[in-house]
Amino acid sequence: MTRRVLWLAVLAALAVSAACGPRRVSTNGAPGPSTVVLLGEPDGTAGRAVVTSVAGAGMVELSGDRASTTVVGRRAPSPVVALDAATIARRFGPTLASLPLAPEAFTLYFRLESDELTDESRALLPGVLKAVAGRPAPEVGVVGHTDTTGDSRSNYTLGLERATRVRTLLIGAGVEASLIDVSSLGESDLRIKTADNVLEPRNRRVEISVR
Amino acid sequence: MTARTCVALLLASLIASPALGQAPAPAGRIKLAAGMAFVVHEGQRIPAAVGTPVFEQDSVATGADGRVGVTLRDDTRLSIGPQTTIEISRFVYAQSDSQFAFVLKVVRGVVAYVSGRIAKLSPDAVRLETPSAIIGVRGTRLVIEAAP
Repeated sequence: MTRRVLWLAVLAALAVSAACGPRRVSTNGAPGPSTVVLLGEPDGTAGRAVVTSVAGAGMVELSGDRASTTVVGRRAPSPVVALDAATIARRFGPTLASLPLAPEAFTLYFRLESDELTDESRALLPGVLKAVAGRPAPEVGVVGHTDTTGDSRSNYTLGLERATRVRTLLIGAGVEASLIDVSSLGESDLRIKTADNVLEPRNRRVEISVR
Repeated sequence: MTARTCVALLLASLIASPALGQAPAPAGRIKLAAGMAFVVHEGQRIPAAVGTPVFEQDSVATGADGRVGVTLRDDTRLSIGPQTTIEISRFVYAQSDSQFAFVLKVVRGVVAYVSGRIAKLSPDAVRLETPSAIIGVRGTRLVIEAAP
């Protein structure tokens, strides 16, 4: 299909959808309504969201599963109501079904002051490969971390060396190099909070996210 | 600077950033696409397919049968339903210098959002906008339906 034909098809689809879709033409140039629904996490908790109108009127906080508010025109957001599951399924079901797979996280640990993995962590590498193989258009983020021994600059460097070492291991195991991005957080994102200059094996790690 | 630092910085320049002068890293990639869907990148319409990169300031739009799933570099997940247009207005995810920003514009239609690392590391850096509402998040999943 040429680009022109594709364009015409897009225009035709938009025209049809505009003609058949719900009538929501706003008056006085005010924006159409927006509905925002907070959803619980799979583990049963729920985050929080704060909704205001673009006009700056009012503010409501959504904090439980299915909590929702609607903002009409320039008015303040409506009071929070819990939408029922059937309504959510009808209005949002197909969209929710199109969310990509949740990224899979792996944490690999290192020997003291070294870029060598512990044996337990080395054993996790096949799981990373499996996650990569099971995804559409896979990508792998590799972030190196250190404990607080030594200064922050050399720890940034050590974190990068660790991440680079993991990248090399992944490539050796068959992951395509172009899928992997490497970075370092050094001692700035401790898994276990410690004072400065504290040896902490659980902070000497590389976090991998397969997405 | 120690020899070790030099080597690491050299590695960083070779690996962490795509060579100087090249295009910036994409904000994310399309992981799922169905029906009529496209990405608008620098004024060019690109059919949305699995693997298509999405950059800061790109739009994604779908027709009546279109759906698109996108995962961003910070693990944020987005799903764009039928007859929907969104814009990745801002996406900054520079971990080493703690620079974070994510602004998503829902121009019209239906969107599902699952927060990623930016919302965790810097919640105030995340803003979702519709024509009538502004949404701030604290680590969460949301669905949004917006009329233009």
